[in-house]
Amino acid sequence: MIYRKRGRSVRWENGTLIRVSENGWAREEGDFFECGPLRDDSVAERGAFAMAEDLPPRAWTFDPEIRVERRIVTHGIAEHEYGEARWTEETHRVHIALTRGALRVLIDREEDVAPIADALARATHDEREPPPRLRLAPNVTAALLPLLFDVAPPNVRLVQSAGAIDAYGNRVGETSVHFYRPSYRVRPVRAPFDLRLECDVTEIERDRPLAVALLGPIRSLVLPVLIRDGARVYPSRVRLHRIDAVSSERIWYPYGAGSFGAELML
Amino acid sequence: MTHYAVATLEELWSNDRLMERRLSHGQATQNDAEILATDVRDDALVEACERAMSEARVQCVAPHRRIVVEATRESVATIVVLRDADCSLVTDPAHFARDSALLQSIAAIPVEASRVDEALPLVWRNGSAAVLLHEAIGHPLEHAHAAIAWPSWLDVDVPLAMRRASFRDVPMQRMERLVASQRGASLEVPRQRIDVLLVDGGAYEPLTETVTLHIAAADLVDGANAQRLPPFTLAKTRGEIARALAGAEGEPIRYPGVICSREGQELYVPSFAPLMLTVFA
Repeated sequence: MIYRKRGRSVRWENGTLIRVSENGWAREEGDFFECGPLRDDSVAERGAFAMAEDLPPRAWTFDPEIRVERRIVTHGIAEHEYGEARWTEETHRVHIALTRGALRVLIDREEDVAPIADALARATHDEREPPPRLRLAPNVTAALLPLLFDVAPPNVRLVQSAGAIDAYGNRVGETSVHFYRPSYRVRPVRAPFDLRLECDVTEIERDRPLAVALLGPIRSLVLPVLIRDGARVYPSRVRLHRIDAVSSERIWYPYGAGSFGAELML
Repeated sequence: MTHYAVATLEELWSNDRLMERRLSHGQATQNDAEILATDVRDDALVEACERAMSEARVQCVAPHRRIVVEATRESVATIVVLRDADCSLVTDPAHFARDSALLQSIAAIPVEASRVDEALPLVWRNGSAAVLLHEAIGHPLEHAHAAIAWPSWLDVDVPLAMRRASFRDVPMQRMERLVASQRGASLEVPRQRIDVLLVDGGAYEPLTETVTLHIAAADLVDGANAQRLPPFTLAKTRGEIARALAGAEGEPIRYPGVICSREGQELYVPSFAPLMLTVFA
């Protein structure tokens, strides 16, 4: 069976506006994967191009020591087709990297920019031991969840959320196995969709210090984070052992095949 | 206004079987800070890709290979990524036989030594110092970092140009090539040392000016005895690397290949360096 995708996107990347229109196909036959551009231009949806005028990101004012290293905003519309299945997807993504000295924070949600930039502006540069009791912000949790898939700690359950449509046009269920196709040029991979973390304890102690942002990639369940502890903000490394509570308020982030971040308590 | 047209054809072969085949083509028109990119096909470029792929398939035979052909209106380039056991390198049809033999000879030797002593001098063979200098000189240049002092005998030709990985990408200032050469340097190869044979990848962190290199194959050498080391990672600032350069010898040697990734855009950068010595102790 052949997968077809007809897509339009507008991307604002560090000051350049790029409009991309692209239609592609892909097929798998046993172990063999093949893909290429579709030789038609039948897509009618041009909505993404209409978004171009609104796309340049908000002009935030940051502390003078903060540098904007990367600022990318993308809006796209894609029509997918696999066999009899047809579905349309509209996406909006923001990616911002802010630096101050040797610290870098990565932000993937517009609403997170102001609080994280505020913490970065007040951060000291010396790494400290993490406090024994800590909260993780939803943006930190969301990046962590795809890595917990096979190693979820006790007390919590890692659950796939139902509702999305997978690489082969199947509706995702909570317990079914699905495949993710990040692009028509990539062979679909088995992946959990829209992960969320559940815990019987949902009450979060708001007075605990908060890991507000990741400062780099998570390796071996060690999180390099920026911690806000009252008036103090500092970089630290947190090793994940046990999760005490997970808030039931969730925010979606575009990590892997989707990840719902929620404030959690270690 | 600038116009760019490209076609790319890629095949992945594993155990002599074709596993993946990707065709991509498109055009981009840039007007000041706006780019219009579409997958419009230029038949001549696609045909050029198909021709070059047919030739490479016959000329560059190996059980595990990824062949990538890129055709623009200016040139047609073919690169081949070879894999043997846990080692891989990037080559082209003109150097395939020599590089394939090099990879086989490196991959054939099992790991014997268990510990890497980073205080030992490093001798960068097979042109591998080009990767070190790609990270320590080339990337800082792309980031417009202030120059630092390098040994007076070292000359590095590393022109930058606006390059892009595909028609969907925004062009960036990137290295076109890196050719390191020495003038009047001397080199006394230490009896006890690590010979670096193959580098798996590297990175430059612009915030800390730290170079990280993943050494895929290296030998622990003591006189006539050599033991293969396990892969290891070297992390030094560019200042430490500049101070550690202790000698060089001979003409620049073509390193099999460097695929440079920045902002998600992967580009091939031809790289050359003479036999070089670093001492980090």
